[in-house]
This record gives sequence, structure tokens and C-alpha cells, in this order.
Amino acid sequence: MSQEICIRTENLNLFYGAFQALKNINMDICGREITAFIGPSGCGKTTLLRCFNRMNDLVEGCRSDGKIYIKGRDIGADTDVNALRREVGMVFQKSNVFPMSVYDNVAYGPRTHGTKKGRLLDGIVLESLKKAGLWDEVKDRLNKSALGLSGGQQQRLCIARALAVEPEILLMDEPTSVLDPISTGKIEELCGELKKRYTIVIVTHNMQQAARISDKTAFFLLGEMLEYGATKDVFSDPKNEKCERYITGRFG
Amino acid sequence: MSKRPWKNVIKEGFFKAVFGTAAVFSILAVVLIIVFLIYRGSPALQKIGFFDFVFNAEWMSDSRDTYASEVSGSYGILTMIAGSLYAAAGTVTVGGTLGFFTAVFLAKFCPKRIKKPLNQIINLLAGIPSVIYGFFGMRVVVPLLGVFSANGDGSGILAVGIVLGIMITPTVAALSGASIEAVDASYYEGAAALGASREQAVFKTVVPAAKSGIFASVVLGVGRAIGETMAVVMLAGNNAVFPSGLFSSFRTMTANIVLEMSYAGELQAGALAATGLVLTFFILVINLCFNALKGGKMAKKRTAAGRKANPFGRYFNRACQKTRFSASPLYGQNPPKEENYVNNKPAKHSNAAAIAAVGKYVSYAAAAAAVFALLAVVLFVLINGLPHVTGELLFGAFNYGGAPSIAASLLATAMLIFLTSLIAFPIGVFTAIFLAEYTVKGGKFVRLIRLTVETLGGIPSIVYGLFGMIFFCGILNMGTSIIAGCLTVSLMIIPTTVRGTEEALLAVPDSLREGSYALGGGRLTTVRRVVLPPALPGILAAVILGIGRMAAESAPVLFTMGASLKPTPTGYRSSGTTLAVALYALAREGAYVDEAYATACVLVVGVLTLNIISAALGARLQKKLSGGGGIKAQSK
Repeated sequence: MSQEICIRTENLNLFYGAFQALKNINMDICGREITAFIGPSGCGKTTLLRCFNRMNDLVEGCRSDGKIYIKGRDIGADTDVNALRREVGMVFQKSNVFPMSVYDNVAYGPRTHGTKKGRLLDGIVLESLKKAGLWDEVKDRLNKSALGLSGGQQQRLCIARALAVEPEILLMDEPTSVLDPISTGKIEELCGELKKRYTIVIVTHNMQQAARISDKTAFFLLGEMLEYGATKDVFSDPKNEKCERYITGRFG
Repeated sequence: MSKRPWKNVIKEGFFKAVFGTAAVFSILAVVLIIVFLIYRGSPALQKIGFFDFVFNAEWMSDSRDTYASEVSGSYGILTMIAGSLYAAAGTVTVGGTLGFFTAVFLAKFCPKRIKKPLNQIINLLAGIPSVIYGFFGMRVVVPLLGVFSANGDGSGILAVGIVLGIMITPTVAALSGASIEAVDASYYEGAAALGASREQAVFKTVVPAAKSGIFASVVLGVGRAIGETMAVVMLAGNNAVFPSGLFSSFRTMTANIVLEMSYAGELQAGALAATGLVLTFFILVINLCFNALKGGKMAKKRTAAGRKANPFGRYFNRACQKTRFSASPLYGQNPPKEENYVNNKPAKHSNAAAIAAVGKYVSYAAAAAAVFALLAVVLFVLINGLPHVTGELLFGAFNYGGAPSIAASLLATAMLIFLTSLIAFPIGVFTAIFLAEYTVKGGKFVRLIRLTVETLGGIPSIVYGLFGMIFFCGILNMGTSIIAGCLTVSLMIIPTTVRGTEEALLAVPDSLREGSYALGGGRLTTVRRVVLPPALPGILAAVILGIGRMAAESAPVLFTMGASLKPTPTGYRSSGTTLAVALYALAREGAYVDEAYATACVLVVGVLTLNIISAALGARLQKKLSGGGGIKAQSK
């Protein structure tokens, strides 16, 4: 397994107004692995995730210092955020399929970035839906509204939509927290498949999920990263006492 | 991950500038209106003396008075301030009661089957032009009341109160209804669990919880009554004296402007502009009260039920209804006070239940009366008018003195709608896009724009007319022309367009915007491809409602476009009479009653058709956002 560093943060601090949400985060995230962020609600894991594609730009009163490098390149102020977000895809906690057809949902990204040709788009849509494991379920209803899909299908459509712009990194913000166990299982399986080609960072509240699917795990508490290492080490032999208490379910 | 591509930056910047410019225009319009009213009114106020103007009860205008000469007339508007307040009191007594009980009936006692159609009918009737109400009042209410009047004339406060009361009933019912529906179901359940009857639970628990919203709707009714012009002019009798009884003639501030503006001399015109200023001041104070009440209610709702209740959110009303019977986690934290019904006082118990039961029957009666009255207005016009809608009337040539034809008015109305749409809708829609999509929520600049848009929306239509006459016809030298009318009406339509469009845009969930940004879509792409398509039916609904208002309003075009029947307009520089104004002229003249009925009929059919289309489009927006094709979205 290659250990090329894909995302690196240096002395990252982030504030919402006067509240400091991230405190001096230094971490390296390796390519083609699944890295899980765990920790109690409000500990900053989602905030950190949203730093990687600068979604925090949209939050009012949010400012940060320190540096973030994606594949060695600084993503500071004069980056083209739209190009960055093309490279760093994101899947949200609650599926947010657009109120348009299944096909148009997947084609949204490529069209936005200038792919107009019908045949080319057809190919991209087919590929993306296959990668997201959704093709067989939707191939007969590509032109129907995506809002008619089930919750789990909608979430996988969001994944397909993110894959259609050919990102290198996929950020997932509690992608299964509103899904039933069967849909959750499908998405976990899909993550295992996807990590062969993509770098995945996943935020989860589900400890078993982190243990099941991730290669590395980072534990956050009150904006600090208290533990970061290989998942099996973190879960079997946590060095930080608070991390141990969280994992064993004694607080959080 | 290259540096920003300049082409995109320029494109984004360009559109942001376009939307921002539109928004700035709204500020400019408010400033212009206030500035020019003051510019026209203040010399007169100086000459007359502010104190004399407001507290003198004698109004004897003399059109020969100028700023330079001695004042020979007297200019005191105290009787008219009193008149406006009397009119408001009468209106709210009738309309507030009818509206409130209708709302209670619709929200709590109405059988499910007829609830939706009933709601739709009442909302539709909110769009009937005020000149139609005035006409109905003149032909039906005044003669009926004349039987009881000592001098045989039925016009006066009672007539105004009844007709304006019917007119504001839909507004009061819709807003009160929204706040009653927004009361958390736990209140009702809590009362019912303590043994309260349905009526008791509704009147003692649910209604008190919604009271600030209900008060707000009544305050809005007061504002509409004070700002109303045409219907009042047609029914009040218009003598500038203190009203002394239910049938005594009186004059309001709005009527004063309409009655004298067309022949006003220099000082007189200034005094009328000053009347407009005082009127605007009243309306602004009322709007402040309304906003304070509404704001208080929203804050309360957020803590009580954890969800925002927006009385203007016609698209959200249904969502509120859906959650009416859901169990609330807050039950228990907020136990309603129902100690009266504990069974150790059986006598009191039955008594209280009986009183509450009376309330139920009152609300049944009120709803029936409201629907009956509103339908009566429409049916009266249709039945009397339809037989007289002839080819001669619709398309006949114009001839002075002969039987009137409304062909010229139809053309003038179409011209007004066409140009006003071109001006008002782009500005309104762009302002809304700027407010909803480009601004940080709660920023200073946005608050300023929103405040000015709301102010613009609160200004009574006659003040727009006054401003248009001073500014477009006078200062910009357009004279009485269709273009001056278009510009004036544009100013009036912009705020409602902004509000309707913004509602439609905000109905699109933020998660969709996030989804698009996360795929690398810029702001412009996101607005164009993700936000606008689902919001489009809602925006179209606002636009069509706006067109309906253009056709319905007469006060703003009376002095800017033409007040009497005119020959066919030859262009935008020529004068013209809209249908609503034509009806006003025909009705006041009284010589061509059949033609007046027919004109009213055409106007009502046109405006109601537009409102029906608008309501249908609004319903489509909701469907689109919650999963088209009837498939249930988000099953969990």
C-alpha cells in the first residue's frame, strides 16, 4: 500500500466568531486509505472535514489560520475553490439530491465543468452509477425524478454524483447516520471498493463503523486531535485516556 | 487547483453587480418617495404651520392660494385624521371579528373535506380590486343601509366599516389562521388530556397561544383600512367634518388626496402632499407595530415549538398543518393552565364548556358570513354584468358623450401591464436573488435593503400616486401619460415581487446549494441550475399576482395616467384609463350603470383568473420540492 501523503494540515486553527472550533491541528492523511474521524458531537470533526474543500467559506463569521496542503499544494486564499471542490468531492449527512432526474443529478458536476457532449455524459453517468453500486437499481428510471428513490439509494446517488467529476479525495460527513442497517451495509461495502481508487475521509458517530471500514482513525475532543493512528491500534490500545473512555462507551 | 480563472471571476462579479444594483434601486425608490413628499409638502407646512395643519379641524381649500399670497382658505386635517381612524375602527370591528372567527373555524372546526377548497376560495377573494368593493358598496350596501338612516342616505362609517371589513377578512383570516395552525399540538393535547372539551381547548388554550399573531393580523387590517382609498371615497360621503353617527358623512386622509388633487392650486397641492406625509407616517408606525408583534411571536414560537412560523409563508402553511397532530416532546414542560376544569367544581365546569361552545357556533356563523359576503360581491358583479358584456362595449369605438366603450381602457391596461412588467419584475426578482443568494444573512446592508423593501410595501397606493404625480408627471415632465403610470405602478409592484420571489428562493433547502458548491459549482451556476429551476413556479406565481395587482389598483394611476374615460391611447406618451379607473369613473357618474356592471365583470374575471393561475403555480412549487409525480420523498 502506498503511503503517499494526500492531505496535510499545519498548525490549523479555526474560529466561529469568538469560539475556537479547531485547535492547532497537525495531521497527514495518506492516499488510497479510509481515514475515520471520531469524537463526541461538537468536537470539530465535521469542521475539519469541511476545511479540506473549503466549504467553511460559506459559513458566516468563520476564519482560520495555518495551512492545508492537498497533494502538496496550498489551498489558501487565492485557490480556485471550484477547481478544488472538483478534486475533493463531498457526501453529506443528509442526502441532498437535486429535484431533477437521476441522470441530471449525476451529470450536474460534469456539465458544470464544461462537458456538454451527450455521449460523453452518458458514459460518465453510467460509470459513476456503476461505481456507486446503483446502476442496476436505477437503469430503468434514469429520467425519473431522483426524489422518488429510497433514502439509501438517494445517498448512493449523491456518491455517484460526487464521483462523476472524477475527484481524488472523497469526504463523507456521517453518510449513513440517517440510513437503515441494510443501506448502511451497502455504503460501507462501497467504501471498501472505492478506496482502491480514492482517498476517503469519513466522519462517523458509529464506533463499529470506524473500526470496520477505516485504516486510520483520529479522535477529536473539544477541537483538539487527541489520538491519531492505525485503526486497530487506536481501538485495541488507545494511548490517550479520554480516547479510551470514549471508545469503551464511558462518555460521549 | 490552479489559480482562479479570470473569466469566471469576471462573470460572477458582473452578475453580482447586476443583482446588487437592482437591490440598491429599492433603497433609492424609498428615499425618492420620502424626499419628494417632503419637498412638496414642507413649504405648505411652513406656510400653514405644522401645528395648525394637524390640529385645526377646518379644511376649506382655495385653489387660488399660492405660497406667495395671503392664505384665504384654511387647511386643517384633524377631521380627516379622525376620519381615517374611525374608518379603521369600523373596518377592524367588522373585518377583525369575521376574519378571526373564520380563521378559528378553518383551523380547528372545519371538516377536512371542505377545508382546502374553502381556504382557496378565501385566498382568491383577497385579490378582488378595491374599486369593486366600492362599487358593490355603492350599489348594494348603501341603499340597504339607507332604509335605517334618518336622512335616507346609507353612506358613512357603517357602510365603510362593513365593506372594508369584508375586504380585509381574507387577509386577517389567512394570517390569524397561520398563527393558530402554528401553535404546537401539545397545547391542544394537554388541554384535552385534562378533560377540556374541544371548544374549550381551542378557545382557552390554542387561541391564547396564538394571540400575538392574531393581533398582528388585526394591526395589518388597521393599516389596510387607513391606506385604502377608492372604496372609501365611494362610500364615505366625503364631507370634511367630524363624524357624528353611524350614517354621518366623513372624509379620510386618502380621500382628501383623491378628491382634490386633480384641480389643486399651488398651496393646496402642497397641503395634499403634506396629507400624504402624515398618512405615510401613520402607516409606518402601524407597520412597526406589526413587525414588533410578528417578531415577538416568532421568537416565542422558536422556543415553544422549535420551528419558525412565518405568517407570510404561504408555501409553508401546509407543512405547519401536517405537523398539527404530531406528538411533541415538549408536552409536560409547558402544561397548559386548565385548573378550572378539574372535577371538584362541576357547576363551573359545565358553564365554562357552554360558553366555549357558543364560541364554536360563532365561528361557524362567521365563516359562513365571510364566505357568503365575499361570494356575494363576486356573484353580484357577475350576474349584473355578464348580460351587458357586449361586443359593442368591448370593442366599440370611443365617442364623447355617447354610450361608453371600454376598448380604450382594455388597451391602456394591457400597455400598463406590459411596460410595468418589463420594469418591475426584473428589478424585483434580481433584488430577491441578491437578498436570498448573495448576502450574508443578517448583515447591515441586507437589513437596510429588507427594511426599505418592507417600507415600500407598506406605503399606501394613493401615496404612490401622489409621488408619481409630483415626480414623474411634474419634475420629469412626463405629464399625465401611460409611461408615468407604468413607472409609478412599478414602484408599487417591486416590493411584493421581492417578497414573493424571496419566499420561493428560500423554500429551496440550503442542502441543495451545499451539494452544488461541493461539486465545484460557483454561485452563479448554483443559482441558475439548482436554485432557480425548482423556485420557478413560485417566482411565476409572484409575477402573476403582481400582474393582477397592476390591473386591480386604481389609486396610483388615477392622477398619473388619467382619471376619466379617454380615447384610445396612441402611445406611451398619451394618457389612458385603466379598467379599474374606468369603473370608478362610470360608477361615480351614475349615468351608465349597465356599462359599469359590465366593466366590473370584466375586471373581476380577469383578476380572479390571474389569481387562480398564481395559486396553481404556487402549489406546483411545493410539489416540485417535495418530490414530483406524487412519489413520496424521504420516506423516513
